[in-house]
Amino acid sequence: MAGSKTGVVGLALVASLALAGCDGAEREAQRAADAEAAVEIAEFPQQVLWGDTHLHTDNSIDAFGFGTRLGPEEALKFARGDEVTSSTGVKAKLSRPLDFLVIADHSDGLGAMRRLYDAPRLLIRDPTLRRWHDMMHESPEQSQRAVAELIDAAATDSLPEAFRDPEGREENMREIWDAHLRLIDRYYQPGEFTPLAGFEYTLMPGGNNLHRVVMFRDGYARTSQVLPYPGLQGPVDDLWDYMDAYEEATGGGALAIPHNSNLSNGLMFELTDSQGGPMSADYARRRAMREPVVEATQIKGDSESHPFLSPNDEFASFGDAGWELGNLPLTERKADTMLAGEYLREALKRGLSIEQRTGVNPYAFGMIGSTDSHTSLATADEDNFFGKHTGNEPAIEDRALEPQDLGTEVGRFGWHYMAGGYAAVWARANTRAEIFDAMMRREVYATTGPRMTVRLFGGFDFTEEDWRGDWVGAGYTRGVPMGGKLVDQGKAPTFLISALKDPEGAHLDRVQIVKGWITADGVLHEKVHDVVWSDMDERRMTGGKVPAVGDTVDRETATYANTIGAPELRAVWTDPDYREGESAFYYVRVLEIPTPRWTLYDAVRFGIELPAEAMADAVAQERAYTSPIWLGPADPAPRAERQAGWFARAWLRG
Amino acid sequence: MTLPRWTREPMVHFLAAGAVLFALFAWQGEPADPASRTIDVGLEDRARLALQYERTMQRPPTDAELDTLTEQYVREEVLYREALRLGLDRDDAVVRKRMANKMDFLAQSMAETVEPSDEVLATWLADHPERFAREVRYGFDQRFFADRAAAQAALGRLRAGGAMEGEAISLPPSVEGASRSRAAEQFGEAFVGALDAMEPGADWSDPVASGFGWHVVRLRTREAGEVSPLADLREKVENDWRAETIARRRDEAYALLRDAYTVTVAR
Repeated sequence: MAGSKTGVVGLALVASLALAGCDGAEREAQRAADAEAAVEIAEFPQQVLWGDTHLHTDNSIDAFGFGTRLGPEEALKFARGDEVTSSTGVKAKLSRPLDFLVIADHSDGLGAMRRLYDAPRLLIRDPTLRRWHDMMHESPEQSQRAVAELIDAAATDSLPEAFRDPEGREENMREIWDAHLRLIDRYYQPGEFTPLAGFEYTLMPGGNNLHRVVMFRDGYARTSQVLPYPGLQGPVDDLWDYMDAYEEATGGGALAIPHNSNLSNGLMFELTDSQGGPMSADYARRRAMREPVVEATQIKGDSESHPFLSPNDEFASFGDAGWELGNLPLTERKADTMLAGEYLREALKRGLSIEQRTGVNPYAFGMIGSTDSHTSLATADEDNFFGKHTGNEPAIEDRALEPQDLGTEVGRFGWHYMAGGYAAVWARANTRAEIFDAMMRREVYATTGPRMTVRLFGGFDFTEEDWRGDWVGAGYTRGVPMGGKLVDQGKAPTFLISALKDPEGAHLDRVQIVKGWITADGVLHEKVHDVVWSDMDERRMTGGKVPAVGDTVDRETATYANTIGAPELRAVWTDPDYREGESAFYYVRVLEIPTPRWTLYDAVRFGIELPAEAMADAVAQERAYTSPIWLGPADPAPRAERQAGWFARAWLRG
Repeated sequence: MTLPRWTREPMVHFLAAGAVLFALFAWQGEPADPASRTIDVGLEDRARLALQYERTMQRPPTDAELDTLTEQYVREEVLYREALRLGLDRDDAVVRKRMANKMDFLAQSMAETVEPSDEVLATWLADHPERFAREVRYGFDQRFFADRAAAQAALGRLRAGGAMEGEAISLPPSVEGASRSRAAEQFGEAFVGALDAMEPGADWSDPVASGFGWHVVRLRTREAGEVSPLADLREKVENDWRAETIARRRDEAYALLRDAYTVTVAR
């Protein structure tokens, strides 16, 4: 009969396609290798690359539950500049594409929520899972509630067994991970657009956020040999073991990026090791090597500084409101004593202190920004914020006012969310290896969204004369770039600093150097220096402070004017407080003039009235933080590096 | 291997998938008939339940668990049939959406895995050159001025035979062969828009605005974008072909079905 004949043809088709799939992977690897080899590698990094290292898609259990139905492919398309349709049906296109992207879905239950959603109801025996399944099918609101329950369960160690069972996990995860790795290899265009493999390790003891994004240097041939490492059990040392094992087995590279230290209740940058014992030199070295960069800013707040720790810094409170109340699910309130283990400036200082004691600095990290968006859309600008998750995409008009899923009754609201940041990377070319190595040598910086170009070089003989010639070349040949280390030579260090505004964005208010140092008696100090600012002739420093730049934001229309500030600020700066033998770090903070936050754009677009507290926070000065340059004694014994190439040489030199 | 053209038709996929389902049901015995009040749970059904349980829970069910599963299956089947009898499936938004998604999936599943031949991709490339053309590339010199009057004054001095000196800014004074997007990243869209409107030559332009301030520009070269051969673009072309083929098949399959319906809408 005719029907069965067609059926046979159908089966034959399926079989032939399965065979064709195998050559695909090899051909793919060859293509990527050829394309990588064809990319020209500059002598020094010439062009800053923009990316997001922390994007979630519908493979993340919470993102899916919150309503995201866009997968990794749409995420890649959006990041490279194609138009996609968001989960709530809004057309979205990034006005300026990104250069690289790390899709970092949660390793725990990778794809599990999607499977739970698709699973036949009668087979779900666990009453909790069955309730979540029903809630997800009932309505978007119920679906979001299910995820809030799930996050609470993860934070309180009460997840259903099916989410934790390692063997069951493995089989399901293998399939998703494999498909994901093939997909990102397909989208890899060396020199133009670079997706890197990664996942989020979601360690959260008692709701205290110790999350890391793990990022790989390699393509399918290597990354397919491992599975994403589960995060729900610690300590973090086990993750480093996993990374060691990966590098040993494959010859590849892996690094981890801690984030949301602001929600760790003091645990992210402890003075002890992860077990509460004294920190040894070996432990410190391991941490520094495994975690060379930290996410300083993202949707769930900014972790650079806090006014409690830096009372003399009038710009220290950016992105702290709401998040400073407690840990991630707000199961534990925050005590002031916890703040020192949470904010990056203090952590950099603690690093000096541990170094003085053990000889190794565990917290010698660089800084990047990222989104942590759960919408598959890597947006970071204030006027294109797509929400933390699909439950607050722009289609939900009063999203700025809604109490949020994370700690609802206790005072976190939509307007506390930030628009997200980006990672700026000074790489010699746009390839996986070059981006990864730039992060290893910490030649990176964070922005809260705007694409400012920031250069920082440290040395001992820079002068104003250098601006007249090839100052970038001078910076690299006579000094070290951001992320590098200067060996104390008994002479005050001098820095070449340039900050160029985002060509589509706001003018710059000022450039600051944040210095942290330790005296011989073991006491830590910090000082924020205003180094260069706009209209220096009119804005004279009084009492050690530069007057505010002004504010051009029209609250009625959510617009601003570049009639104040400057397009570029640059300076040669020598540390006036230098003392021989005192170890120190120096990083640059660049402030834009005040501009509307996403909440003000929303208020104007949708005609909503913001409450007074939200209105007071509706205008802000966006910023950039560079990785520090450290000053101190030469490292006692240079270690052999696993990473071959430029990074290792630079490290050994520096 | 190349597949004959008819194998790529969505209608064929529907028929093929339908036949496979038909064969599956035939092999499994009587298809479930919503109108019938007889439910036979065979050994094969029990095995299937056990297997699905094992896939979810990572261990086989105990006998008691399998009996519970069977009871649940029977309960669901009874209620399912009664629900169909009452027509409850018809106003359920979730059911409707799920079923519609499954139909879409049938139409597109082949396109997700098929490896298109070079011939198919070459045709695709030839049909959509604008999507794969290299970007326009510019070579130019520029000098920066914070305000327009200063730029104008410098231009005046230059035209009177002086040198062209700009104000200090960390932007390259000379750019060679920069793609449009690279130039836009560095100088902003407004500046590149002005380049688009200029004719290449040896003359300095009137002041042009950018996000930084004002520039006097000498556009030396503009290379039109060309299309590289397929070998260099294969991946891009294939991704584009695949994405669009999936969307087209979904639409075609729908159109095919839609044609069989008469729809009237009261306005």
